[in-house]
Amino acid sequence: MIRYVIRRILMLIGIVFIISVGSFYLIHLLPGNITTIIEGPGASPANQAKLYKLLGLDRPIYEQYFVWLGNVLHGNLGTSFISQESVASTIRAALPIDLEMIFISQILAFATAIPMAMRSARKPDGIVDRIFGAGSFTLLSVPPFIVIILLVLFISIKLGIPHTGVSTYVSFSSDWIANLESMALPSITLAIGSFVVYFRVLRSDLIATLQEEFITMARSKGISQRRIMWRHAFRPSSVALLGAAGVNIGGLLAGGFVVQFLLAIPGLGYTLIAAINQNDYLLVQGIVFVVSVGVVLINFIFDFIINIVDPRISRE
Amino acid sequence: MSNVIIPEEQASIVERPEKKAPLGPLFWLCVGWIALNFLGAIFANVLPLQNPLYQDYSSINVGPSLHHLFGTDDIGRDIFSRIVYGSRVSIAVGFGAMLIGFGIGTPLGMLAAYRRGRFDTIMTSFMYILLAFPAIIATIAVLSFWTPRSLLKIIIVIGFASVPLVYRVIRTATLAVSTKDYIVAAKVQGATDRRILLKELLPNIAPIGVSFLLIGVATVIALEGTLAFLGLSVSPPTPSWGNMINESRTVLQVNPWLAIFPSLALCLFLLSLNFIGDRLRNHFDVAEVKL
Amino acid sequence: MSNAPHELLVVDDLSTTFTTMGGPLPAVANVSFTLARNETIGIVGESGSGKTVLSRTIMGLQPRSNVTVTGSVLLNGNQMVGASEAAKRALWGKEVAMVFQDPMTSLNPVMRVGKQIDESLRVRLGMNKHDAKARAIELFELVGIPSPAQRYMAYPGQLSGGMRQRVVIAIALAGSPNLLMADEPTTGLDVTIQAQILNLLDDLKERLEMSVVLVTHDLGVVATRTSRIVVMYAGRIVESGSTRDVFNHHRMPYTRALLDSSPKVSNASHTRLVTIPGRPPNLLKLTAGCSFAPRCTFATDKCHTERPELQAADEPEHAFACWNPLPTNTERGS
Repeated sequence: MIRYVIRRILMLIGIVFIISVGSFYLIHLLPGNITTIIEGPGASPANQAKLYKLLGLDRPIYEQYFVWLGNVLHGNLGTSFISQESVASTIRAALPIDLEMIFISQILAFATAIPMAMRSARKPDGIVDRIFGAGSFTLLSVPPFIVIILLVLFISIKLGIPHTGVSTYVSFSSDWIANLESMALPSITLAIGSFVVYFRVLRSDLIATLQEEFITMARSKGISQRRIMWRHAFRPSSVALLGAAGVNIGGLLAGGFVVQFLLAIPGLGYTLIAAINQNDYLLVQGIVFVVSVGVVLINFIFDFIINIVDPRISRE
Repeated sequence: MSNVIIPEEQASIVERPEKKAPLGPLFWLCVGWIALNFLGAIFANVLPLQNPLYQDYSSINVGPSLHHLFGTDDIGRDIFSRIVYGSRVSIAVGFGAMLIGFGIGTPLGMLAAYRRGRFDTIMTSFMYILLAFPAIIATIAVLSFWTPRSLLKIIIVIGFASVPLVYRVIRTATLAVSTKDYIVAAKVQGATDRRILLKELLPNIAPIGVSFLLIGVATVIALEGTLAFLGLSVSPPTPSWGNMINESRTVLQVNPWLAIFPSLALCLFLLSLNFIGDRLRNHFDVAEVKL
Repeated sequence: MSNAPHELLVVDDLSTTFTTMGGPLPAVANVSFTLARNETIGIVGESGSGKTVLSRTIMGLQPRSNVTVTGSVLLNGNQMVGASEAAKRALWGKEVAMVFQDPMTSLNPVMRVGKQIDESLRVRLGMNKHDAKARAIELFELVGIPSPAQRYMAYPGQLSGGMRQRVVIAIALAGSPNLLMADEPTTGLDVTIQAQILNLLDDLKERLEMSVVLVTHDLGVVATRTSRIVVMYAGRIVESGSTRDVFNHHRMPYTRALLDSSPKVSNASHTRLVTIPGRPPNLLKLTAGCSFAPRCTFATDKCHTERPELQAADEPEHAFACWNPLPTNTERGS
């Protein structure tokens, strides 16, 4: 177990290193003079000097990387030359919104996917299973941007529920009820996508697990169907589910921008799109770096949870 | 007294009988739908369609009629013809990117699984590190920095981003096949590597490859739609399904047709692809590949 | 249970038929036998003879779909055939328990073994946490697990095959069942461990006053441990009787083939084991005749067209199903 964790941590460091190189190099994809492009033609000499210092532009490229990395490790991702705010503090303000959205959506997704998968797996190819299967399959083919448009059309416009429409975000600290209302649509949209994945993965694994001999053995002990499902079948069937959840939650952190953008919710994704449109390259670079590291960290954490859930894996 | 068949094993199987899932009429319906979309995209120029860019200010936001089958958009362009032309972008991005992904991922995955040894170790660790990198963010980041944008660049970026995934699927599939007796037999008989890879392994992993390819195409087409929303796909006025849905947002209340028709076109296309992929996978009895 | 019947288990004309894509599959057909209290009966047959399906059907553990069970199984007066899952559940563990074939697959790999036995004690017997743990450790000790308190915390993967099978037995014993179904309890184990486990079962049966159904393909296993033996072939009983009679006075050629094919200590070394030519029949394509006929050296035309029913032999309780039975003992050398 310990050896396994150490190996994973070494791999994690390697991946973060590669991400940092990738994020650093993004800036150099820009054509032409970097300072002019980043700050615009009318940049003041003081700002230009600041950027030079941040990026180490007068040195060879590998040294530039270490200058940039040194700054990043000190929490300095640069200062946006458009908003004049530090990239790090912009990210710090936006990130909690993403986390709240992901948190709510995952509760919704698991709360629906787990019982439905169990119901489906109890009688594979039964009527309920077929209906759930067809439903989840259809949802699989509806991209989130269409879901959100439909939701806005019916819930915000037709039903007129407050704070659910476009540009109606209310922060949690100012009014938490209104905040939850404004989080409803994006969370539901993300939950639908997650639900489809979790339902399908868990259903197929549950069906396989329920064929196992130890389930028959548990039955022969005379314990209830419900207990067998939850205590015996669920845990060994949840490895792929947790793996999928790790990838999916990482994907939400990286891919939540669509709903944020469409509803103008000022999370990381929304900020990223705005930054791209305003050519605020340092902010883009900062968000790409932070989100990438976040995704990798989430995967790492889920790997770890999987090991606790199924002790067979690290023993191999 | 051992190598015997029947009840002991069958007793466990009977709850879920092993059968080669029939493809069914729905499968062929989906194939037909994809084919129709392909024909429309290829022959859009010669079909009797209205100019998708022509702005007819005398008929703005008109509902479906005989003259405009799906109605017109907010600047009087024919929605039907824009959808047919728009399928070109989706199809080009979806299949183009997967062509690149499979073009690179398949030979690498097959070679790694067949050769094993150091090549496999290095290749696989490299790909797994890439897999840990969030592909969407990488795609968006590269597309936003790599200006000016074009359809070709989108295809290239998404195509390369998909290589690690394709590599993993193909490698796993090849590994499963290459231990089978007939492959070992072919090796023992002195068949060349080239022959084994092309004549023995490739046909056997093709079913898995094709079904994964179709599901991959669906994923990429949805991704193109997402990029369109972010203004990172082909630039207007070139129609693409994503672009059209994106443009419809501002006139959602006035003209819902503008959102409904391209959304339907997109969803039906994705549904067909997913369905064909899923059925093929069941048909060839391949374990669920996690995307 | 003052007026409990003398026979603990009465199986009468029991048939289990699976519905498969290839048609109905009669895994068990018209099986009848009885088992007295504190008795051990052996059910013997090749793989595929239906013995595992039979033992599961007796318990009512058959799959819930695609299967038809007819006949009757009276377990201590309770009818198991057609009983609801809830009714059967009330009997499982307390009235009847099962020791499964392969301890590698019959224990939940992601649950500590202590928890798995705990479950029987707390959920089924309503013990509190503390008592259940004490009892579990007691049971582990009973089945000969060294340092049981430490093993209590182990995952199945951390135990050897023999230890795991002991855990399985301990779990089966948790509810103090009257009947223990042991389905090939030693097949998955090393030869040296096999005898230990069998002796343990034997010993426990005496001490806990249980009845045991011992299912095996190995006649050597049942020779000294059972009072009676049922020989199965293709889902049917082909010979049954006291262990002595089956070994010494068997009339069915299949029983003899089984006996000849198991190694004996009395044989000179390097004696070639006799094998039974051919394989068990495909149960989906049974003929009207005796199922063993295609592999039988004594088969006549009648054997291929007409199925022999069980008929009484000279000895009491000894029956066989054969048109051309082996001659009685007097004419035989061995």
